[in-house]
Amino acid sequence: MEKKMEERIKNVMSAVFEVSVDKINDNASPDTIESWDSLKHMNLIIALEEEFDVEFSESETVELLSFKLILIILNDHSVV
Amino acid sequence: MKELKYSEILKLNKEIGTNLKSNPYNIIVLSNITVHQIKEILEYSLRSEGINANVEIGDYDNIVQDSKKYQDSNVAIIFLELCNIIDGLQFKIELLNDDQLDEILEKTKSEMELVLKNLEKTSLVLINKFTSLHFCSFNIRKNNLEELVDQLNKYLENKISVNVRLVDLEKVIANVGVGNSLDLRYYYSSKALYTIAFFKAYAEYIRPFIMSANGKAKKALIFDCDNTLWKNILGEDGFDNIEMSSRTKDGAVFSEIQAMALALNKQGILIGLCSKNNPGDVDEVIETHPDMQLRDEHITINKSNWSDKVANLKEITQELNIGLDSLVFVDDSSFEVNLIREHLPEITVLQVPERLYEYPKMLRENIGLFYNFSFTAEDRKKIEIYKQQVKRETVKKEFTDIEDYLASLELKMTIHLDDESIIPRMSQMSQKTNQFNLTTKRYTEGDVKNFIENDTSKVIVFSVADKFGESGVTGLCIINFHDETRSAEIDTLLMSCRIIGRNIEYAFINYIIDMMKGRKVNIVRAKYIKTQKNEQVKEFYDKCSFSLTESCDSVRNYTLDINNYKPRQLNYIEVVNGKENGRANKECDVSSI
Repeated sequence: MEKKMEERIKNVMSAVFEVSVDKINDNASPDTIESWDSLKHMNLIIALEEEFDVEFSESETVELLSFKLILIILNDHSVV
Repeated sequence: MKELKYSEILKLNKEIGTNLKSNPYNIIVLSNITVHQIKEILEYSLRSEGINANVEIGDYDNIVQDSKKYQDSNVAIIFLELCNIIDGLQFKIELLNDDQLDEILEKTKSEMELVLKNLEKTSLVLINKFTSLHFCSFNIRKNNLEELVDQLNKYLENKISVNVRLVDLEKVIANVGVGNSLDLRYYYSSKALYTIAFFKAYAEYIRPFIMSANGKAKKALIFDCDNTLWKNILGEDGFDNIEMSSRTKDGAVFSEIQAMALALNKQGILIGLCSKNNPGDVDEVIETHPDMQLRDEHITINKSNWSDKVANLKEITQELNIGLDSLVFVDDSSFEVNLIREHLPEITVLQVPERLYEYPKMLRENIGLFYNFSFTAEDRKKIEIYKQQVKRETVKKEFTDIEDYLASLELKMTIHLDDESIIPRMSQMSQKTNQFNLTTKRYTEGDVKNFIENDTSKVIVFSVADKFGESGVTGLCIINFHDETRSAEIDTLLMSCRIIGRNIEYAFINYIIDMMKGRKVNIVRAKYIKTQKNEQVKEFYDKCSFSLTESCDSVRNYTLDINNYKPRQLNYIEVVNGKENGRANKECDVSSI
């Protein structure tokens, strides 16, 4: 049973930022998640690329700065 | 861990972390590049084996200063990368002249000197060997970078010491592949050279160092027989049709496995069998089959019968007097493998791979489970010592009075004080002894050396011999003196389980108290710290006439007014002084210590 993409993204974010999944709402961004710094951002990119088997371009990596944006960009990659 | 995704490792690491209650084991990673991703990966690889690892990363490119700041960590890992000794060294180096190359070599060496000086007292220091493989993996002509690597590694070889070990980074890179080890994208943007895949392999590669330092090296390798030590099924195919020699392609694989087991046995790892067979049938193979390499003298314990393997493996640990977590068990049957994994999860179970030609590789990859820092003379003699023990047990049955039996043994205990030549064995005993161990503190060779060099502490060991043979160095005591208050406390007191039952421990404590009297100690303090394995010594100090001052579930505190000490009379145990401070000392007057 395939998990919905939103759930998978939130699970990855929860693991990377060490916060519980329910603390990750649709507005999640470095402003709302305290541990989201540049080092954790690197980890997030790597974890998302592994989870969805994609590779983000350089311009995309700097744009992946909120849950909403992550969802949009992953949709652009036509991730199943 | 290879199969787990990075996000899964992060999640599991946090979960295990909240559940582990033991004291944190602090690891500091110092690097001149970005390595922050190693934190959770290394923590997870250790936490999943029961070590409450807490990994900190030093400030970026601040190795020398941080080596001083973090010198009290349990482990320091040094990740000094050539590519950032000066930024872009990997390509700039080819443009440098000889003087400039020399300067870089000397600068790097003197940095290492400073770092190692700062970490002199750190329990364990792991330094990565230098490598140019990242950037020079396919060139034919040797270049300046590779020359520099050779010279620096030659220098590092001389730095191996009681607490310093080198990590062969090239093996880790080879294991993952050069391409898969390097994150070129993040290297150029953030100096983060390595990939998650590399860090996973690195964590697994260095884990044996840390497991050994925590007393968790495996002690015994137990094999099933059919299709694990030989091809085919003895009971069905018969003595003549089991294959374990290079005459057949499958036999060659089993021949290699047996040779590997023999090599481990030589290093003191106990080998055993646990197989569903008629006992006589397996004995016949061990004694008479021309292709069998594991013979009676190599096999410490043989449970070939029709009982279930869970019961057999439990009996093996009881008879060998070791914990379930000291065992590695190999079997080809998925049924048996799953059964043991479910019922005896402390045992590490390895399954013979479906592709038989991968079996030796699988076993080699797991050799690290048995890694132990100091391979000592006691390890070599261990099998012989076990056989002596069997002889003692047989003779014991002839005596009705235990004291008469002990007197007949002609026991002799030799004491060694602050003897630096025995440091590896002292450290090993602190790491491996679980049952007769009052406080179960684990010490590396570096730690022991610190105790010996310290004027206010004393490290005492004894070796034991009787008329059947030598048992070797089998007891350790570490004492901290507080001369200003005329008191002392026993930090560590342990004894190898193989010499339990001869009252040696009472002779030892008599000696220790005498020694303390010589140093004008009035009050002795001691503790019993409960673990899963040392219940048998819970009341040892009570039996030695110490007074219990307070106790709770896990700790018993004792004091002894030295004038009230009541020594046990043990005139059948001769006590002699061996070397002190590494020098032979024939007549040692205890009052001068």
